[in-house]
Amino acid sequence: MAVAISNYVGLSAVMFFIGVAGVLLRRNPLVMLMSIELMFNSANLLFIAFARAWVANAGQIFAFLIITVAAAEAAIGLAIVVATFRDEKNVDVDQVRLLKG
Amino acid sequence: MMATHHVMGVTGAYPMLVTLWLLPLAGAVLCWAFGPQLRGLAGWLASGAIAASFVLTVASWASGTQSAGGALGAHQYLFSWMPGFDFGLLLDPLSLLWTLIITGVGFLIHFYSIGYMHGDRAFARFFAYMNFFVFAMLTLVLSDNFAGLLVGWGLVGLASYFLIGFWFERRTAVAAARKAFVINVAGDVGIMFAIFLIVANVHSTAFGDAFAASGTLSSGLLFAICVALFIGAAAKSAQIPLHTWLPDAMEGPTPVSALIHAATMVTAGVYLIARCAPLWSANSDAQLLVGTIGGLTALVGAILGCVQWDIKRILAYSTMSQIGYMIMGVGVGAYEGGVAHFFTHAFFKAQLFLGAGIIIHNLANEQDVRRMGGLIKRMPFAFVAILTGVLSICGTPGFSGFFSKDRVIYGALQHGHPWLYAVGILTAGITAYYMFRLLFITFWGEYRGSVDPSDLGIRHPELSGVVDPDAGAGHAKEPADRAHHAEHAPAWIMSVPVGILIVPTVLIGWLMFGGDTSPWNGFFASSFPSAALATPAISELATSGVVLLLVIGGFGIAWWRYGTREAAANAVERLRNESVRMPAILTHLFYIDAAIDLICVRTSQLLGQFFGRLVDPLVVDGTVREAAFGARWLGVLVQSLETGLVRAYALVLALGAACFIAYYALAVAR
Amino acid sequence: MLVVAIILLPIVAGALLFLLPRDDRAVSRAAGTIVAAATFVGLLFQPAEFSFRWLSRPFVAAFHFGATPVSFWIALLLALCTACAIAASNVPRLRDFTALMLFLEGTMLGLFLSRDLLAFALFWDLMLIPVFFGLIGWGAHPATAWRYFIYNFAGGLTLLLATAAFGVLQGSTDVIGTTTAPLAGAWAPWIFAGFAFAFLVKTPVWPLHTWMPLTYSDTPSPMVSVVAAVQSKAGLYGFIAIALAFVPEYVHEYAALLVLLGAISLIYGAVVALVQNDAKRIVAYSSLSHLGLIVIAIASQNSLALQGAVVYIVAHGLFSAALFLTLGFVEQREDTRSLVRLGGLGAANPRLAGALCIGALAALGLPGLAGFVGELIILAGVYQAGYTWAVIVALIAIVLAAAYALRLYQGIMNGPPVEDLPVRRDLTWREGLALAPLLAALVVLGVQPHPVLEASTASAPPTSTVSR
Repeated sequence: MAVAISNYVGLSAVMFFIGVAGVLLRRNPLVMLMSIELMFNSANLLFIAFARAWVANAGQIFAFLIITVAAAEAAIGLAIVVATFRDEKNVDVDQVRLLKG
Repeated sequence: MMATHHVMGVTGAYPMLVTLWLLPLAGAVLCWAFGPQLRGLAGWLASGAIAASFVLTVASWASGTQSAGGALGAHQYLFSWMPGFDFGLLLDPLSLLWTLIITGVGFLIHFYSIGYMHGDRAFARFFAYMNFFVFAMLTLVLSDNFAGLLVGWGLVGLASYFLIGFWFERRTAVAAARKAFVINVAGDVGIMFAIFLIVANVHSTAFGDAFAASGTLSSGLLFAICVALFIGAAAKSAQIPLHTWLPDAMEGPTPVSALIHAATMVTAGVYLIARCAPLWSANSDAQLLVGTIGGLTALVGAILGCVQWDIKRILAYSTMSQIGYMIMGVGVGAYEGGVAHFFTHAFFKAQLFLGAGIIIHNLANEQDVRRMGGLIKRMPFAFVAILTGVLSICGTPGFSGFFSKDRVIYGALQHGHPWLYAVGILTAGITAYYMFRLLFITFWGEYRGSVDPSDLGIRHPELSGVVDPDAGAGHAKEPADRAHHAEHAPAWIMSVPVGILIVPTVLIGWLMFGGDTSPWNGFFASSFPSAALATPAISELATSGVVLLLVIGGFGIAWWRYGTREAAANAVERLRNESVRMPAILTHLFYIDAAIDLICVRTSQLLGQFFGRLVDPLVVDGTVREAAFGARWLGVLVQSLETGLVRAYALVLALGAACFIAYYALAVAR
Repeated sequence: MLVVAIILLPIVAGALLFLLPRDDRAVSRAAGTIVAAATFVGLLFQPAEFSFRWLSRPFVAAFHFGATPVSFWIALLLALCTACAIAASNVPRLRDFTALMLFLEGTMLGLFLSRDLLAFALFWDLMLIPVFFGLIGWGAHPATAWRYFIYNFAGGLTLLLATAAFGVLQGSTDVIGTTTAPLAGAWAPWIFAGFAFAFLVKTPVWPLHTWMPLTYSDTPSPMVSVVAAVQSKAGLYGFIAIALAFVPEYVHEYAALLVLLGAISLIYGAVVALVQNDAKRIVAYSSLSHLGLIVIAIASQNSLALQGAVVYIVAHGLFSAALFLTLGFVEQREDTRSLVRLGGLGAANPRLAGALCIGALAALGLPGLAGFVGELIILAGVYQAGYTWAVIVALIAIVLAAAYALRLYQGIMNGPPVEDLPVRRDLTWREGLALAPLLAALVVLGVQPHPVLEASTASAPPTSTVSR
């Protein structure tokens, strides 16, 4: 028996806000990256759930695309973290204020 | 714009007109391009070009006076210059007369210049300019339309500029040339404005079209056209208050003064008014205005001529005064009279200048009459030349000036202007005074060239009307570097033209003898509109008598002050006293120069400084700079939002996204 | 295709110049002159139009090139001025400078030959770049360069916005040289404002002119001769080909304002030119004055005045190019262009004096030279359009022009020779030949202006004789 679509949406929303909270509240960039990953996956979940519900494969393809983008994003993010650590000897995002105008 | 090209009713073609028009231009181009190769030949080439042009003009006499379908003259269409501005040449009695003087007297002066300019560094350049002037002047008088006339008008101004500033290493000459040109441009724009008025209402610039339509134009418009044209005429013909450039123009070589600033160019205003006679005759207000200014100029020129010491400046003011007569004549409607005075003046004034040129040439460029004296023995030929000229300009009966001047004076009365008549008579007396003053100071007594200048009351700068304050010595002298003292050209080159000029100076006036039945009036029989003449209470003979009395009076005063044996003996002391005690208003020439300088020159310079130094950098640019500072200040304000705290950015991002979603959620819900 | 080749030739040739050795002055000058002359010859063949679709949405835009009757003459003027300027140039780093000049010519050819508004706006911005580098790289204060760039780029921005709005409303920007349905609606006045601002800055017109005297006096002479002669005409051409063609009713509505601005520029430029001591700045302010007259002519919307405007555009290009080149020669010889220092050069440099004299005479509107024809026709038309007061202001400015042009000429060439000025040789053959075409064209156009006059009657913009 099919799970009602509202359950997927609910789970996805919960995952997304956990991700948002993680980005906003944690100061460790690695954790922030993982939180972003969580938001990506909440979007993925929605895509796949709706793809199944409406029998439209485009959603599944988008999920693959997002996974790819997420991988790229993680790679760039980690590179930034490493580079920042080299310069600043510190990865606390509140301490690093390179964007200050 | 009208396609038809109506030129005073004259049709047909006359190609010889083009040849005689372009010959001087060819001479100018050759002298200019091959000056170094031609050397002394340039003078002969240039004179030859003018002579050929003169011969062709004489040969065109019959064509110029032929009657074709009620209209006089010959016409040659040239080309379409601009839409509505067709260009053609017209030879009718009026332009024929001017062409004869320009090429005839022009040739004599060219010939004279071969001697006068001998040895000058820029000999060929001088003749290139002179030939160019003749070409420009022919353009002016032969053009069949206002636009072509304006071209000639501007180009003679340019030639005059080049020749006044011929010795361009002298500051006074440079300043005088600029002054002459700028004032003449002020005249040019007057004619330009007249052209706009004519084109807008007549849709053509051809003289014929404009005159044919003059009856249909409103009197206000006609007056405006006449005034605009007269601004041009006044600037070119040195009428008050635009006369100030003419005395300064004497900075040019003397032959230039004779040709341009006496015989031909300065009479262009007379030509213009005579040419536009149908316009003036149709508007009595314009006649009154022009006649009055002409009379005033005659009087003021004569008064200022009495207080000059530079021989060329005396002649310059006398030229101004005589042109005043001409303008008065053509202004009030006595066209034959005004044109007649142009005709005789061209001869006797050219002769006076050329005679003065002989003196200046022989006295190593001395122009101050106080440093002359007793020249009757040294230069008898120059004396004869100047004496005949003086007798003619004063209106001695039988001499040419007598006939033409009386016609102008009496014409003023005939056309109902008794005041101008009186001014004309008075001016005739003053003319006699200052011309004989010139003659006596220059030729009577002992030679004063070796007297210390300060003993003669000569101060530097003296009576200089040149605006340029750092002009240096106002006392005009031709540059010492001219080598012609060492190698004089043969004297006959300068004497022959003067000798030839003496003949018309004495005799030509008899053409005008006989009033309305004279050959002169016959020549212009159908050139000018006729007006109903009043029959004055005073007869022409009585007028001549009164004029003669005043002339004798003027001569008598001059004789009493400078001519008697006793006066000649005490000349040095008398001249010093006169120089030193001269009233300021006269030494400053009625302050006209100063007024123009203050109103026009200083004001525009001050405005320029004000705009350039203050308005531009502070007001205009300042506004822009304030705007730039404003942008910068905004930037600083926004900058403070950039904390560099990544999580703050993320929070703003999230809040923004939340607001966005909330807005759309609410919109959908509604 | 020829038209594209004409536009690309100078740009490509400019890039190829960098293959030459850095210090090969003669070859790069000769190559530059030949390339510019080649574009001139190419234009004489009246190349056919060429179009290449650029955008389809949100509106149609195309790289559509081809001369209109008016732009044909301006493009010819541009090619001629560039050839003369490159031939006359003798600046440091000549190879790089020549490359910039060619790039400038190519971008400006693109501008004048564009039949598409979007391409027009693109080239509008591109043509600022070489002048910016010409300023930065050849001795001008950076502030001058930035001022030039910011002013004109701001104009370019409003031009681009107006173009975009125009495209959205009309569906196509591929319109120059054609007629479209009149713009209507709330956006139309803003589109007009965007065009007008860009054109007025570029011309320039008071009070948007303050970038101009600085730029004109600090740019190297050969480059400023092209900028003053042709780049300043971009705005006027824009008025004729764009504003008059597509938003004529707004030109008509704001005609009084435009005439007023033109008249202020006219008299303001003349009066300030009268007291400047920097020779190039005198010509710069005289440009402000002369171009003000053309703005009046365009705003009057009288067909006669528009004919005159085209002649005067070409005439002003010729004499301002000649004047700036000649002043460049003077500056190069005497190491100064201050009238306070200069004087008396005429005796030793008759050819240089003659060249400056003809330029100055053309600037003051001597009858028989091209400037006079333009002035006469413009003012006759403006008078017929009813702006008598503007005519009188212009006539006063003509008298002032005589004063400042002669002051410029006499201040440099006449008077006693100045003792401590270096004595250098008179105009060389190369310099003389570079000036000759400009001066000859002034005389030819002054006597026979018909071909240029007819350009504006043959071109599309509707003209109305405004009667009041």
